Formats: sequence, C-alpha cells, structure tokens
Amino acid sequence: MAIAIENEIRGMRTLTARRVAGVCAILLGVLFVAVVISLRLGAFPLSVRDILATLVNGLLGRSDRVPSEFALVVFGLRLPRIALGILVGASLATAGAGFQALLRNPLADPYVLGVSSGAALGAILSIIFLPHVPGAIQAAAFVGAVITITAVFFLGRRGGQLDSATLLLAGIVAASFLSAGIMFLMTTLPGRDLRGMAFWLMGDLSSPPPTQNVRGWFVFLFVLFAIAGGAIYLTASDLNLILTGEKEAQHLGVNVRRVKLVVYVCASALTGLAVSVSGAIGYVGLLVPHAMRMLFGNDYRLLIPTSALGGAIAIVIADTLARTVVAPTELPVGAMTALAGAPVFIYLLRRRVR
Amino acid sequence: MNARRKRGKLPAICQGRNRLRLLALVPALMLLPVVRAIGAPVQSANARSTQSDAPRVVVDGTGRRVKIPARVGRIVSLAPNLTETLYALGLGDRLVGDTTYCDVPEDAKTKPHVGAPVNPSVEAIIALRPNMVFATTSINRVETVDALEHLGIPVYTTNSQTVREMIDSVGQIADVTDAAAVGAALTASLNARLDALRKRLAGEPPVRAVFVVWLDPLQSVGQHTFIADAMRWAGAESVVTSNQNWPQLSFEEVVRLQPEYFVFASSHSGEGAVTVEDLQKRPVWKDLRAVRDGHVAIVSDEIDRPDPGLIGAIEELARDLHPKAFKASAKDRMRSLPASRESICLTNRCATLGDQELTVAGWFGWYHNAFQSENGAGGLRGAAR
Repeated sequence: MAIAIENEIRGMRTLTARRVAGVCAILLGVLFVAVVISLRLGAFPLSVRDILATLVNGLLGRSDRVPSEFALVVFGLRLPRIALGILVGASLATAGAGFQALLRNPLADPYVLGVSSGAALGAILSIIFLPHVPGAIQAAAFVGAVITITAVFFLGRRGGQLDSATLLLAGIVAASFLSAGIMFLMTTLPGRDLRGMAFWLMGDLSSPPPTQNVRGWFVFLFVLFAIAGGAIYLTASDLNLILTGEKEAQHLGVNVRRVKLVVYVCASALTGLAVSVSGAIGYVGLLVPHAMRMLFGNDYRLLIPTSALGGAIAIVIADTLARTVVAPTELPVGAMTALAGAPVFIYLLRRRVR
Repeated sequence: MNARRKRGKLPAICQGRNRLRLLALVPALMLLPVVRAIGAPVQSANARSTQSDAPRVVVDGTGRRVKIPARVGRIVSLAPNLTETLYALGLGDRLVGDTTYCDVPEDAKTKPHVGAPVNPSVEAIIALRPNMVFATTSINRVETVDALEHLGIPVYTTNSQTVREMIDSVGQIADVTDAAAVGAALTASLNARLDALRKRLAGEPPVRAVFVVWLDPLQSVGQHTFIADAMRWAGAESVVTSNQNWPQLSFEEVVRLQPEYFVFASSHSGEGAVTVEDLQKRPVWKDLRAVRDGHVAIVSDEIDRPDPGLIGAIEELARDLHPKAFKASAKDRMRSLPASRESICLTNRCATLGDQELTVAGWFGWYHNAFQSENGAGGLRGAAR
C-alpha cells in the first residue's frame, strides 16, 4: 500500500510544463478543427471561402463587403453558439473533474449534488412569474444553483468540514427533492409557456444572449469561468495528494479543509454557470474527465486543463451534430452528447482493459 | 537585501510550478480575438435594417412591439394554422417557407421547410431572407421568437384562446400584410357563419361531451383552450373542468362524468382514425353509455387548428350533435347559410387549387366541397342520426 502510494506520487512528479503545454497544444488543435467544421456546417449554405471572407472582413470592421446574411449567420448564430459551447463544455468537464476528486467517486458528475435541479427550478419559477423579462431565466437559474450549493454545503458537513460520503448523500437528496418539485410544477401548470422548459431540461445552446451587447456578455461569462476554473487549477497539486488519502495529505502539509471548500464552491459555481446559460447538458461532466484520465493519466495538474479542452471539443462536436443530423429540425444538445460520447468512451474503455 | 533578490532572477511567478499555472492563460488569450469579433457585425446589421424599411410599429397578440417593413413580400410561417390562414387570405405566393407539419392546402407542402414548429432552424429561416415571420403561442416557443428578433427579423405572434379571437387575429394578419380588404371580407363571412350557427342552435341544450386528444394515456382539453370554445359554438360543453391546457384524465373521472358524446379528430393526433367499432371493442370503454349508444363524433382535423377552417369543423360537429336542428328544408338551408358556401357549386367555381384566379369565397367553397365529397353526404362518420 505504501509502495503503491509512493509509485503514484513519483509518477506524478515527472510531469513537466513542457508535457502540459504539448498536450494542451494538441487538444487546442483538435478544438480548432472542430470549430472550423462547426462553422462550415449548418442549414444556411456557406462555403469555407465565404466564412473566411466574413471572418476577415468582420474582424477588420469592413462588414459591408459581405452580404448581410453571411455576417448574420456567422457572427450572429454560429460563432456565439460555438463560443457558448466551448464555455459550457469547459465548465462542465472541469466541474466534473473537481467533483470526482472531491467526492473520490468515479461516478460523480456535475449534477450529482443537485446544482442542476436547483437551477432548473429557478428557471421554471422565472418562466412562471417573470415570463418576458430578458435575462430572468439565466439569473434565476444561477440563484437557484447558489441556494442549492449553500444548502447542500451545510447538509454535507461532518465534524466541521466537508465529508465526501455525507456530501454525496446530501446532494442526492437535494437533487431528488428539487426534481420532484420540477415535475410537479410541469404537470400542474397551464403548460403554454413550459414548452420551452422541456427543451431547456435537455440542454439547448441556441438561446440568444439576454442583452444586445453580445461581446460584453461573452466576456463576462469567460471571466467567471477563468476565475472559478483558475481557482480549481491552483489546487491541482493538492488534489493529487488528497486522492491518496486525506490523512496522508494532511500530514504532507496540505490544508485539506480549505482545498475541499475551494473545489466545492468553484466546481458548483462552474456547474451553475453552465446550467444557467444552456440548461442541463448531460454526460459531458462525467465522461470527459474519465476519457482524459485514460489518455493522459491521473495527475490533476494535467487533467484539469485537458478536461476543460476535452469538454469544449465534445460539446462543439455534439452541437454540430445536433444542428445538422436531422436538418432542418434542431435536436437539443443533451440528446447528442451521450450518443456522440458513448462510442468514444467505449473505445477508450476497451483499450484500457486490453 | 532586496537588490540581490531582484537582479538577474525571474520573478517568482515565472518559476517552477507557477510556470505550469501561467500556461492556463494562453488559451484564454488566444480566444480574445474571437470574442472581440462576435458582437459588432450583428449590431451593425440590425442598425441597417431598422433604418431603411420600418415605417410602422404594431403590437402583436402577445403585447410585443413589432416593426413592420414597408412591403411584406417574403413571409415565413412557423405553424400549420398560420400557413392555412395565409393561404386563405390569398397570400400563398408571398409565403417563402413553412414548417414540416404544414400540409393544408397541398401547395404548402411544396414550400421550403424550416423544421418543426417547436424547434425550427433559425439558419434555415435566415436562408429564406424573409421580411416577416409569423408565429403563434399555441405551438411556437418564446425562445424561437426571441432568437429571431435578436437577429433583426420581425416576428408577429398571434395569441388566440377563443374562436372569435382567432377570427380577429386573421384580420390582424391581413392588416399587417396589406391584405386588409380580403381580410375584412373573410372575417365578416366567418363571423356571419358563427352567428347563423348560433341562431340555428338557439333552442337546443348543450350536449355534454369530452374531446379526446389521446387515448393512452387519456388526454382531453382544458376549459380555456380554443377547442373547448369551438365545442361551445357547436352546441357541446366540454365537461372536463380543468384549467390546464391538455389535462391528463384518470379513467375513473370519465366514468364519473359519463359524457353524452365523445369527440375525436379524424386523424386522432396523427395516430390514424378511431372509429366507434374500435371503441366498442375496448375493455372499459365499451361499457360507457356514450360508446354503447354509438355517440362518437369524428370531426375533421381542422378542429385542432385555430384558423378559418375551424369554422367548418364547428359546423360539422354541430350537425353531428344536433341533427334535428339541421333537418330543415333545403330551401331553408340555402337561405340561412352564407351565399359563398352554396353558390360555388351553382356557379361552377369548384376549382382546384391550381386555378390562379381563385377568390377567397371560391377557396372556401373548394375546401368544403372537397371535404364533403371525401366523407360522403353530411360529412360525418360513425354518428347516430
């Protein structure tokens, strides 16, 4: 047992900045290819030349040189959707990796602690009480997420600090209770305005930003992601030690209580952020960290950035498929993430077992 | 001292483990130009369109302010009932796109499709370059309307809960699309038919009925839907006292209510026809009073759609439920019904839809004649007469 731990720690210490940079560069390349393909495909016929012309002219401010529909489709529809997909995918996968470390449970995903159910309940209540207020759904969903995070935090403590088993149970109870509340509301209310809710619950990247200042909205979201994701990343080396055992980590000088608190708050905030803007997209937070673990190892200093990039790639590909597979109807993204992710995951699983 | 620390050494943040952490910033920096590119061109496109061609602002059925362009030449319809309404107003040639469910009239099936009403593809809508999109609260989502408005495409949303409101919305659509004269004629004729029907059914007590949307699980319509209102016009009262739009009923409730009639749409929400014989074979249904007596009314699918064709379905249902009120002489029938309906056969305007000169009255005549001949005399199936 002691030798195994020693080997694990020794294996992790050989990680260098060069390896991280190399792996991230490869994943960034894959993400770039996915983005290009996603820009190219869609119901509106655009060739790669058209896209390049639109992008170049748009960046240089010469938007009158391309037909306005091109600019509308590229900058108004596809690019925001891709950016939102990257953000949501990165948030969910990072949160998933964080929760898997925090709960020391490979089946943990961002929704296991009830955050998505709390956000969904907030969204439903805002549809009922504030139907046409722009931004109300996102704000209410985030508030719901925050309330759930706080409640589960207080329920999940044991001896003053977060205990993974208690936290898991508290989260599952919260998720079940909130889901029951959502089902009750959806079956007893008039139903006219809740059509959109069914799509929201399956995950939907197509909702426009709540403000006309699209650029400001995305900057705001990316800043939130950077803060929460960055905080988790800073605890990465401590997480490596905690995974070998909390007492061991404590003896090696890690402030276990503080690390757990930081990871809990930041991972929940990332989940709340993702769910508020796009609904509950499933499987990304669970499958992507595992896939990255199988490909690149268990070191959290590498796992967190690769999960973020892997999640972004997964959502961009899933959204592209959702937009084009049954054209002109658009499927919800959540329907495609499992379909697209499961075969990849099975392949990785088989490779590992062999 | 401090001097020794600063000379010749990188600051602590660039050393060792912190170098790894700095790497996290690189992807973020690479995405900055992308983020910068996102906002601007859409805003300028919006500004351009609003300057050039938006002389009028009207308030639509949901209270939104919609900028109507000067010439509404390219229309996209996001619901089957709106497509039918646009054809009824003679605007079929201005319709450039509709949904995959738009099947009446036949010409609507040949238009480019933008997807299902609930989740159409916004890109497909943009590809058709419409200057007006019509939506309805009965089937479209607010998110779709928001997305189109965000991109600067005007969307007019209708919101009709009753039959009279539906007729008003037909008039509003006509006003928005510069077809006010045709719209006035159409709404006048529809209102006249409703008034004539009400007069004819004046002495009859309303029949207690249940409209069945779905058999398994049993779903009916709530009190505030247009179908319940349509049934009231046809001399029936939906005995399902629910405020939800599509309440799911327990079968015990139906047994308790023991309605006099069950009403089905002829395609039964897409599942294929339900006949009296089918119900008389079903285990608990066959013991219900209405089924035993054969009191099952099958009406045209127009009952599901809040558009001008709904009036025809109401008249058909009224005939089915109150046959005595319709047993008047042929001369009385000719006198009481509006001229447009009978005169088409007399003046040989039973034209197909390929006829370019089809007038509004002629269109209605064609439609009702087509339906009458399809279902035999009286236009009903399985009803006790």
